Amino acid sequence: MTVKELVRKIFFVEIIKGLALTLSRLFTHAVTIQYPKERRPIAPGFRGLHALAKHPQTDKAKCVGCGLCATICPSQCIHISRAKGTVEKYEIEVLRCIYCGFCVEACPYSAVALTENYEYSDYSRDALYMTTEKLLSNWDKYMAGKKGEEYFKKFWRPLSEDFGTPAGQAVFRKIQNAK
Amino acid sequence: MTIDTLINIGINIGITIINIAIVFAVAMLHVAYATYFERKVIGHMQVRLGPMRVGPHGLLQPFADGLKLFFKEDIIPEDADKPVFYIAPIIFLVAALVSLAVIPYYQGFVIADINIGILFIFAMSSLGAYGIVISGWSSNSKYAFLGGLRSAAQVISYEIAMGLSLVGVMIMAGSLNLTEIVNAQHESPYGMFAIPQIIGFVVFVIAAVAETNRTPFDLPEAESELVAGYFVEYSGFRFALFFLGEYIGMFIMSSLAAICFLGGWTIPKFVTNVLPFLTYVPGIIWFLIKVYAFIFFFYWIRATVPRYRYDQLMAIGWKILIPVALVNILVTGLVKILL
Repeated sequence: MTVKELVRKIFFVEIIKGLALTLSRLFTHAVTIQYPKERRPIAPGFRGLHALAKHPQTDKAKCVGCGLCATICPSQCIHISRAKGTVEKYEIEVLRCIYCGFCVEACPYSAVALTENYEYSDYSRDALYMTTEKLLSNWDKYMAGKKGEEYFKKFWRPLSEDFGTPAGQAVFRKIQNAK
Repeated sequence: MTIDTLINIGINIGITIINIAIVFAVAMLHVAYATYFERKVIGHMQVRLGPMRVGPHGLLQPFADGLKLFFKEDIIPEDADKPVFYIAPIIFLVAALVSLAVIPYYQGFVIADINIGILFIFAMSSLGAYGIVISGWSSNSKYAFLGGLRSAAQVISYEIAMGLSLVGVMIMAGSLNLTEIVNAQHESPYGMFAIPQIIGFVVFVIAAVAETNRTPFDLPEAESELVAGYFVEYSGFRFALFFLGEYIGMFIMSSLAAICFLGGWTIPKFVTNVLPFLTYVPGIIWFLIKVYAFIFFFYWIRATVPRYRYDQLMAIGWKILIPVALVNILVTGLVKILL
């Protein structure tokens, strides 16, 4: 043991360094968020509870029942059934969902969304099985108005208008004029 | 005996009982808020908030805790040695509480002004170890038993170092009476023995932390290895008795440090010569400031230092603290004789 080490031991240098650190932390602000009273700010594009988007003009579901979301869903929690060209049933089993957001990404009509609501715990499984009505009412609750309109444009690509031909490609004159 | 002497005795007993009641009530209140203070200090040192929910800033938390402990189920292990199991927490708490009687809080206020005050406190803290050992034995649980054994070894080892560290103070004050020790400090040029007895003070602080079984020497209750140590099998109010005893023990050690090394209720004369208005502050306030500074130090260490290993604990006690304390006694004695 060198003299330096001995001196460091006798005067508790390491322990005093540690004490200085804890004392300096005593005067800093605590990082605790007191949850029900205070809330963490929700990041834009947060992936919470599901909702079925409504068309702003007709106020009906945008979903056409193509089944792309159900196909891409890794946990296979989306169930769709169609009858006579209309969507009869669109259901999501929330307890199985992994919130990957593939369904939102896959949808060509921007018909399914993940809202910012994360406080939906309940006592029964049935309450967390989202039927079409529940999904549509979620849209009214959490995505009503401008928020819902901007949601897909801000956070999700591609959109249906993205599916076009490159600018330089030859197209029918009629379509060109329409643009 | 005449009626007069009987009346005098009666009045004295009455005054003593009132004093005891005051000290007991105030000590209990301080213990309740020492737990709050501890949780707040450690919480903020770990960048948390500590208790916040019960009352403004959690100020009523100690009462909520007490109420909860009072109404909890009293579970006794089936194979426990029942009479011993019942009596262990009482021994522990009483041994801690009795020490409050000999501590002078300010000039003239002490329940029992006995001439062997320091020895009395040592004796009582050794008795408290019995509470720990027999609680560990009677619980009939391996964790409690190991905790009790460790505590016995630890308290006995560090009692020696603590006793020796205070011998220097005794030599300088020439008395074992705590009031006289404080007065001797006030008369001395330094005003507090912590300055000439700095080595004794450091040894005392380390031994006091070990004696009260607190981090970094909390091996008897090492949560990560022994669950909770010697009181693992205790629940409800019996657990609360251990808890109270532990915190009162901390107050006793802090008071002993304040009295023997920091000048008790007095402030050094060289300070009052510069700032004469400080003499108007009542002595009890200086005493409490010193005690709470020391208790804060306990918490501060707890928030900083990890637990020592068992062999390290024993090595520090026997190979370092005791020899250092002995050298300190030798030097103090030589200085006393030669000067």
